[in-house]
Amino acid sequence: MERPWTSFYGPSVRAEIDELPFRNLGDLVSHTASVYGEAAAFTVCLPNGMNGTLSFRQVDEMSTALAAYLREVAGLQQGDRVALQAPNGLPFPVVAFGVFKAGCVLVNVNPLYTAEEMAKQFADSKPSALVIVDMFADKLPEALKGHHIPTVIVTRVAEFMPSLPKMIVGAVQKYWDKTIHPVDVAHIRLPDAIAAGAARRDEGKIGAGSYTASVDPDDIACLQYTGGTTGVSKGAMLSHRNIIMNMAQTMEMISGVKKGEEVALTALPMYHIFAFTVNLIGFYWLGARNILIPNPRPLSNLKRAFENYKITWMSGVNTLFNGLSSEVWFLDTPPKHLKFASAGGMALQKAVAERWEEITGKPVLEGYGLTESSPVITFNPLGRTRSNSIGVPVPSTDVACLDAGGKPVAQGEAGELAARGPQVMLGYWNRPEETEKAIRDGWLLTGDIATMDADGYFRIVDRKKDMVLVSGFNVYPNEIEDCLAAHPGIVESAVIGVPDGASGEAVKAYVVRRDPALTVEDVRAYCKLHLTGYKVPRLVEFRDDLPKSNVGKILRKDLRAEQETRTSEAASA
Amino acid sequence: MVGPLEQAILALMIFVIMLGMGASLTPRDFALALKRPYGLFIGVASQYGFMPFIAFLLAISLPVPDPIKIGILIMGCMPGGTTSNIFTYFSKGNLALSVLMTVNSTVFGVVLIPLVLVLYAGALDLQIPRENIIVTLVLLLVPVAIGMGLRKLNANAGAVTEFLGSLLAVIFILFLIVSWIPRNWDFLTTTTWATYFGAIGLGVFGFAIGYGFATLLKLHPRNARTIALETGIQNGPLAIAIIAFTFSGTEAQSVMAVPALYSLFIVMTSTMLTFWFRRINNAGEQKLPDGLL
Repeated sequence: MERPWTSFYGPSVRAEIDELPFRNLGDLVSHTASVYGEAAAFTVCLPNGMNGTLSFRQVDEMSTALAAYLREVAGLQQGDRVALQAPNGLPFPVVAFGVFKAGCVLVNVNPLYTAEEMAKQFADSKPSALVIVDMFADKLPEALKGHHIPTVIVTRVAEFMPSLPKMIVGAVQKYWDKTIHPVDVAHIRLPDAIAAGAARRDEGKIGAGSYTASVDPDDIACLQYTGGTTGVSKGAMLSHRNIIMNMAQTMEMISGVKKGEEVALTALPMYHIFAFTVNLIGFYWLGARNILIPNPRPLSNLKRAFENYKITWMSGVNTLFNGLSSEVWFLDTPPKHLKFASAGGMALQKAVAERWEEITGKPVLEGYGLTESSPVITFNPLGRTRSNSIGVPVPSTDVACLDAGGKPVAQGEAGELAARGPQVMLGYWNRPEETEKAIRDGWLLTGDIATMDADGYFRIVDRKKDMVLVSGFNVYPNEIEDCLAAHPGIVESAVIGVPDGASGEAVKAYVVRRDPALTVEDVRAYCKLHLTGYKVPRLVEFRDDLPKSNVGKILRKDLRAEQETRTSEAASA
Repeated sequence: MVGPLEQAILALMIFVIMLGMGASLTPRDFALALKRPYGLFIGVASQYGFMPFIAFLLAISLPVPDPIKIGILIMGCMPGGTTSNIFTYFSKGNLALSVLMTVNSTVFGVVLIPLVLVLYAGALDLQIPRENIIVTLVLLLVPVAIGMGLRKLNANAGAVTEFLGSLLAVIFILFLIVSWIPRNWDFLTTTTWATYFGAIGLGVFGFAIGYGFATLLKLHPRNARTIALETGIQNGPLAIAIIAFTFSGTEAQSVMAVPALYSLFIVMTSTMLTFWFRRINNAGEQKLPDGLL
C-alpha cells in the first residue's frame, strides 16, 4: 500500500520499524532500569508541593518484589488478571511493572468508578488480584459481591513518599478531607506485599526475570476497558507487542527529545491509554523523569509542579490546554523549558492550539488514536504541524478512508478512518462478535469520519455517530464547536443534533459562557458570520458546565440522552 | 497584660509564620509583583494609605490618653496579617493575591512603616522610637529568607514548613486567646468604650474602605473580598512584639492595650465578614474546568 506521508518524516525517522525492541514489557522495564539506575524516574507532586521520588533502580526492584509476591505468595499464574485502581502516584508504576514482570495481565480500572461499574468490570475481567488506593476502598464490599477477588492489596496516594510528608498527607486526608474510610475486606498493604515478595526472592528460589522468560510478544499485557460509542464497556486486549510497538512508533515521531534528560508532566490519568503508553511506558523508556499529578483538578493543583520542576514535555487534552490558558499564574510564568506539548484524547481546537502557542511559544502536536490501537495512529511531525489536522500515520502503519462498503474513497472525500499496524489490538476480551465488527481484514474501523490531504495528512471530520443530518446536509459538530471556541465570550461548547419535524434534525449548541451578557442572538449572529446557514445552531442553551469523561472529553452522548428524555417526556405529557 | 511568656510565644509565632510564608514563595513571585504594579499599588495604598489614615482619625477624635493613641497608630501602620490568608480562603477570595499582598506589605513595610508612623506621630505630637522599629522589621525578613531558601533546597522541606507554619499559627492564636481572656478579665472590664471603639473600629473601617476602594476600581468580586480582608486584617502579633521591644514598663502595657484588643476582636469581626462574603458569593465564582479526573 502506498504511504505518501512518509516524505514528512524527519531524516532520522524510520518508515518501518521491523524489530521489536523488547520481547515483553517486563524486559523493557528491567533493561531501562539497568541503563538509568539511580536517576529519578517518577516523582509524585501534590498541590502543596509535597513530593516523593523513585529512581529507576527502586521502581525496578520494587516491581520485581511485587511480581514475586503475586506469583509465590498470592499464587497467581501467568495470564491471570490483576486489576489496578489508582490515580497517578508512585504505586502506579510499581504495580503496573510488577504485573508485567509476573507475566500477568494488567486491568486498569478508573478510580472514580461507582461500586456498580467496578462490579461489572470485575465480573467481565475476573481478576485474581486487585490493587486499590485506600480512598476508593470503601466501595469494595459492594463491588466484590459478584466476582470475588482473593487477593486485595491496598495502597495510598502518599505511598513511597518521605515519612514526614507522608504522615501529613495521610493525616490531612483522614481527619480534614475525611476521604479515607476503614477497609472492610481482608487485605494486605502494598509495602507489606513488596516486603513479602522481596523475602521470597532473597530466599534464592526465584531468579530475576524468570517469569518473563515465557511471556511472548503476542501474549496479552493489558485489558483496557473502553465504552466505545455503543456504551457497552469492553476490554480491549492489548499485547506486549501492541504497546511496545506503539511506544516505539510514537517515540520515533517525537524528535528533539534527549534520552535521560527530559522531564515530563503527567497530569492525565495513567489508567487512560494515552498517558499509559506515552507517559508511563514511553517516557520511562526514554529515561525521562515523570512528574505525576494525582489530581489535576482544580488546575491550580499543577502550579507547584510547574514551579518546582523544569518541565520539558507534557501531554494533555484540549480541555487541559484550554483551562491552563486562562489560569492567571500560568499566563504570568509559562514554563520556560518546555520543548513542546502533545494533545490527544479528543479533537484539539484551532483557537486553543493557537492560544497555547502564543502563551508558551511552543507548539501543541496533535495526535490521534483510540484504545483499540494502543492508542496512537497518527501524529503531527515537529515543525510540520498542520492546524486542524491529526497529522500523518506513525511508522509501520497503514491508514485509509473507507466507504460504507469497505472500499477506499477518492482522495479528499470523507470516509471512515481505518488503520492497520502492529498497534492494533488482538480483539475484545470474550466478545468475538464485537471484535468482528471492529476489525475487518486486519483493518481497525475507528468509527471516525476523516479525509486525507493529497500528500497524506489526515483530518478528522467527526465521529460517525455524532454527525447531524440537517435537511440532507451533513453537519459535523466539531466544525461548529471549533467556530464557537474562537468567540472570546465562550469558554466551551458541545453541539448535537435534535429531532426536528421540518429539517429532520436541527443543530443544537450547549454553550458555557465567559461573558455573562452573551445572548442566544449573539451566538447565532457570530455563527452566521463564519458558517453556512444550515450549520448555524438553531437552538442555543447556556450551561454552567458540560458533562465530561474522566480525561475531560466532552460527552455529547450524555447531552443527547438528556435531550431524548426531555423529548419523550414532552410527548407523553 | 502581655507577660514575658506570651511575648516569647508571640515572637516564636511570628518567626514560624514568616518562615512558612517564605516557604510558599519563589523569587519570581516578587518579580511578578513588580510586573503588575497595579496590584502592588492597590495593596500599598490600602495598607499604608488608608489604614494609617483611619488610625490617625480615630486617634485624633477619640477621648483617649497618649499611650492608647500610640497603640492605635502603630496598629494602623502594621503590614497585613497572615490570618487574612486563612479568612480569604474561607471567603472564596483570591488566595494568591492575599498571600502576595501580605508579603508585599511586609517587605515594603521595612521602609514604609517608620515613614508613615513618624509622619502621623509628628502630626499628633507623639514620640515614636523609629530605630527600634526598623531593626524589628528587618529581623522579620530573616525567617522569610530562610523559608525561601528551604524551599529552594528541598521542595518537601518547603511544603512541610509552609504547612506547619499555618497550622502552628492557628494553634498559637487559639492558645493566646483562650489563656489571655480569663487572666485579663479586669483589664477588659475597666477599659473605656473609646479604647474599644478604636481597637474594633480600625478593623471594621478597614474592611469597609478596602471593599469600597476595590469595588470603585471595578475589580472582580473575588479580588474585592480579598482586598477588604487584607486591608482590615493587620499583623497584631507584630505590633505587640514591636511594642515589647520598643517601650518598657507600664507605658508598654498601655500601648499594648489596643493591639491586644484588636487581635482579639479582629478574629470575630473577620469571621462575621467571612460568613457574609460566603453568602453573597454565588454566580461570581470562577468555574473550574471539571472532568479532568
